[in-house]
Amino acid sequence: MSDRKLPRLLQSPAVILLLIWMLIPLGMTLYFSFIRYVLNNLRRPEWTTPSLSNWRGFGNYEFVLNSKDFLFAIQNSLLIVCSILILTVVLGVLIAVLINKTFPGQGIVRVLLISPFFVMPAVNAVLWINMILDPVLGLQGIAVGSINDMLDTLRNAPLVGWFFSLWPELEPISFRATQTSAYAVIIMVTWQWTPFAVLIFMTSLQSEDQQQKEAAVLDGASIWSQFRFLTLPHLARPIAIVVMIQAIFHLSLYAEIEIVSRGNGNKNLPYLIGEFANNNIGAASATGIFAVILANIVAFFLLRMIGRTLME
Amino acid sequence: MGRIQLKSVTKSFGDIQVIPPLDLTIEDGEFAVFVGPSGCGKSTLLRMIAGLEDLTSGDIEIDGEIATEVPPAQRGLAMVFQSYALYPHMTVRKNIGFPLRMAKMAQAEIDQRVETAAKSLNLMDYLDRKPADLSGGQRQRVAIGRAIVREPAAFLFDEPLSNLDAALRVGMRLEIGELHERLKTTMIYVTHDQVEAMTMANKIVVLRAGVIEQVGSPLELYHKPRNEFVAGFIGSPKMNLVKGSEAEKHEAATIGIRPEHTDVSMTDGAWKGRVGVAEHLGSDTFIHVHDTGLADMLTVRVNGDISVKHGDTIYLTPQADQIHKFDAQGMRI
Repeated sequence: MSDRKLPRLLQSPAVILLLIWMLIPLGMTLYFSFIRYVLNNLRRPEWTTPSLSNWRGFGNYEFVLNSKDFLFAIQNSLLIVCSILILTVVLGVLIAVLINKTFPGQGIVRVLLISPFFVMPAVNAVLWINMILDPVLGLQGIAVGSINDMLDTLRNAPLVGWFFSLWPELEPISFRATQTSAYAVIIMVTWQWTPFAVLIFMTSLQSEDQQQKEAAVLDGASIWSQFRFLTLPHLARPIAIVVMIQAIFHLSLYAEIEIVSRGNGNKNLPYLIGEFANNNIGAASATGIFAVILANIVAFFLLRMIGRTLME
Repeated sequence: MGRIQLKSVTKSFGDIQVIPPLDLTIEDGEFAVFVGPSGCGKSTLLRMIAGLEDLTSGDIEIDGEIATEVPPAQRGLAMVFQSYALYPHMTVRKNIGFPLRMAKMAQAEIDQRVETAAKSLNLMDYLDRKPADLSGGQRQRVAIGRAIVREPAAFLFDEPLSNLDAALRVGMRLEIGELHERLKTTMIYVTHDQVEAMTMANKIVVLRAGVIEQVGSPLELYHKPRNEFVAGFIGSPKMNLVKGSEAEKHEAATIGIRPEHTDVSMTDGAWKGRVGVAEHLGSDTFIHVHDTGLADMLTVRVNGDISVKHGDTIYLTPQADQIHKFDAQGMRI
């Protein structure tokens, strides 16, 4: 056996397993996306089993493109993913820098900060939408109610009452509504994933060279300049990692959307796939292929953008 | 101008006082070297002058003005670190220009000053490279460049050569020496290497456990060490210290004789011993002599072409006018 064959042979199980792992699902999705395949159709029972004789060409793709929710789902996917990315990275950097200094109770604070990450997504969604964001029974409702009560009292107070009577009564926001359900998802996922960003940034901050900081202090750099010219470039790579990983995860958000509003006013591509997959597997598969393309486009641009702005 | 005065400066970490009250004056234009074994507080002292470390008590004056509470950037001092501390994400040009940029200087002036500094340090070909693409010596020069552009009142060097290999170190030593001759700016240089101290300094400050053992020019320290510690620390190879009856003959508790001030003979002399390892350096040979009954080992420095073998009998005679005498407290008599 020649020198090259043995290593290849030894690699092959892993490579073959990976290929099976990746290619079979992708291949099946592609296949289903080009045929008529529905789970239940009384008039055309032959469509309920996948077969090449039900070939539909790009019909499923056309159907998906023309469906009223498709464009909205793509826009909404991007809105949710980009908002969460911006919020988690900004909050993550700020919190990581804040708790990087030593202070009493540091260990406990760090554990508490990380803990949201260990909550299951569905549990996270149920807790937020019912206990915190609910306009009547949640923290939001209670807070808005108490502020309104306080304003009422102040309006009746002597001297300053006229000033507070100019203030409007506060209205609680219903986060299950069509217009706001996407924001509810953004808020709860940001809460859950900021700890992930903090964790990654914190480990990176600890490897920052202290002599560079001291040199910068002697060079007259302010705290802000040290952050801008030393810490932020140092964090470029971890930021890229956090953005990439989160982009992959948040393009496939499902549980939160289901629990907050069952897709009312707030669909992303996976949710649309789920809706199609109730019956129309062909359309669901075509949407899946669109999702793969979208994910690749997003990944490509994100990497470019981060590479250019921060690595310099 | 760069006259730096330390007035009863102390430093404690918690309950441990690493620097007991210390007074020192470094005159304008001097090249002062703080030298001592590791942990003697020399780096702490430098960092206190730079303002990176707070003083526990006492005052630092720069050009006659109390600088103890002045923030590091406004003391007009520039520091070169052991690890170079270059900013890894910036090019050499931006690294050198950084202090000027922080001082909000006009871009044209920054460019011009950076070019001037780069020219004098032979860095013109590397201005657009990142620190990671430079060799150790080039990085060191960038760090020095970053200090020069600020036109500081004094330069502070914190063991700047210890990360370089031996050959480069000799070269950089000369470059820093040349730089001092050219700029005539005060320089304070911290090292544990007495060779660096001897070759570069106008004024050596020997420190041990935070206490100044002696301050003086290299030759003063060599010829008139104030105590046994300085005698043993300055000079290479180390001075031989002999106690006991031989010392009593000279009415001292300890006598010291430098390896180069000992005459060697194979036939007769004052002290008889057995040759151990002989280190042939070419120009010189260091012979380690055992079994003299005076100390564990004596070192002598002789002409390079001597031929001695391990185990040979050898006779040593100290040159009478070069014997250093110390009392029971280790102080020079």
